[in-house]
Amino acid sequence: MRTGAAAGHVGYFHEAILYDSDDHLLAVVLPFLLGGVEAGEPTVVGFGGRNADLVRRALPAGAGVTFLPGGDVYARPTAAIRAYRELLAGHVASGATQIRIVGELPPVVFGATWDWWARYESAINHAYDEFPLWSMCAYDRRVTPPHVLADVARTHPRIAGPDGSHQPTGVYTEPASYLAECRPAPLDPLQHGVPVVELVDPTPARARAAVRAADSGLLPPDGVDDLVMAVSEVVCNALRHGTPPVRMRLWCAPDRIVVAVHDHGPGPKDPYAGLLPAGDGTEGGLGLWISHQSCDHVTHHRDPDGFTIRLTAGNAHFPV
Amino acid sequence: MTGGNATHPGYGHACFVYDDPAALHARTVEQVGVGLAAGEQVWLVGPQERDAAARRLAAVPGFTEAWRRGAVRLLRVDDAYRRDEIIDPEQQVRAYVHATGAALTAGYAGLRVVAEATSLVRTPAQREAFARYEHRIDHWMRRRPMSAVCAYDRRELGDAAIAELACLHPETNAGVSFRLHAGGDGAAAALAGELDPTDERLFAAALERADPRPVAGRLVFDATGLRFVDHRALLRLREHARRHGAVAVLRTRRPAPARLVELLGLTDIRVEVVR
Repeated sequence: MRTGAAAGHVGYFHEAILYDSDDHLLAVVLPFLLGGVEAGEPTVVGFGGRNADLVRRALPAGAGVTFLPGGDVYARPTAAIRAYRELLAGHVASGATQIRIVGELPPVVFGATWDWWARYESAINHAYDEFPLWSMCAYDRRVTPPHVLADVARTHPRIAGPDGSHQPTGVYTEPASYLAECRPAPLDPLQHGVPVVELVDPTPARARAAVRAADSGLLPPDGVDDLVMAVSEVVCNALRHGTPPVRMRLWCAPDRIVVAVHDHGPGPKDPYAGLLPAGDGTEGGLGLWISHQSCDHVTHHRDPDGFTIRLTAGNAHFPV
Repeated sequence: MTGGNATHPGYGHACFVYDDPAALHARTVEQVGVGLAAGEQVWLVGPQERDAAARRLAAVPGFTEAWRRGAVRLLRVDDAYRRDEIIDPEQQVRAYVHATGAALTAGYAGLRVVAEATSLVRTPAQREAFARYEHRIDHWMRRRPMSAVCAYDRRELGDAAIAELACLHPETNAGVSFRLHAGGDGAAAALAGELDPTDERLFAAALERADPRPVAGRLVFDATGLRFVDHRALLRLREHARRHGAVAVLRTRRPAPARLVELLGLTDIRVEVVR
């Protein structure tokens, strides 16, 4: 039996909180959490330090709410989906009839890397829909840029209000449609410069060697290995599924390596490409998913000239 | 294979690909010199008649004397390899096991072979059998004082056919991206180079032909020489181990394969990072 606003709903009940004060946030979150605890449902908070403290202080002692360790969950969207799906599957296996989660993204992701978090917010409508989940994603209207709020409205079916309301956003777009749209990510300023590597139709081995050679100690060893893995997969995909020629370019800055791989094809057909694993790996389909977890930022860019996937290892948060 | 597990210090098993017969001749001359200096018996196996081969080597210092006393033997391919159309891998390994023993009994330090084997691997069926033989003899050479240079003529075989054999040698001048050969230190096999989809079918064939077997439920691969491995190759190693009711164990210097295994939730592959 599901309880609260999600009673009778099948699958994922996904809401946004668009708050403009601590009181507003608590007016939505506290009844949500306490209602979950009262119903005996697993009740989880995935907030950053400040808001986690705010909620912790406002809750009665020993309320039975679980606080996820801050920071880790929202490092990379694909890893967040994987971690949450494991968490949800565990609760369902233990007999939960509903799980309640309230979370927030760190404001740093509203900048250069917002595109993949927008994809995340849309994709989870599908990725969590097999679970009896009621979740709320909190956005502080005072610091969230308008274009981010516009994406939030299109990726959340409902908004939870401080008056106990659960209003449709009105512009919610099914993930398959939303994700199929062209959503250009800001160009990394490095891309205006001359790349240090430019290869046409490289073998995956040649592409890997170029990444290793370009690194020269810039990234930690595990970071290089992860980027090598991601570039290898992306080049393999472009050679196998793309339209030649495949062009790989690489730029270096003191805090990051950026690799763009372009081909003249339309890019992956699967709207969830990179965010969810496709198949069991024996037939392909895992390469992009692995790449999304091996890099600090991955963008997909489609234009009349073809498809470009850009991988960043290191600090992806350039000013926009 | 029988016996201990230690790698013999003189272990050498090279696949030598040539386009120019002069390159093969130079390699042969080098092997004769190294073998005689080490007190080994040297077998030179090739397609040509014995006298013709001897004439070509007459100018090599010490060759004629060594040939007369039997320290160098010149054999035609048919003499050294019991073959019909397709060799029998086990029988062929037994022949070299016997020859190694005979060389030691005769007082030599070991057996060194240079074999021009092009005529033995012309068809896919021949290569299938010969590849199996190459890996089995590699295990013997790793542990006992036998070494070999297996020479193949690229002009006759082409790169793709040669790659099937070259990837089963610990050393080669052929352009193969990975190598699968005998392992030491409890490993069923060793992997070196890079494993990605480019040579996926070649790797599948090599694994099938080498057919490494588990010990006590663990199929251990020494992957310390493996610079890159993708998820497809990991899944293939897992599949091979599963067929033999074992878990695959990958000994590697880098933690990257361990992260991949964790990511994919591959519970029946263990990655052991060794320094």
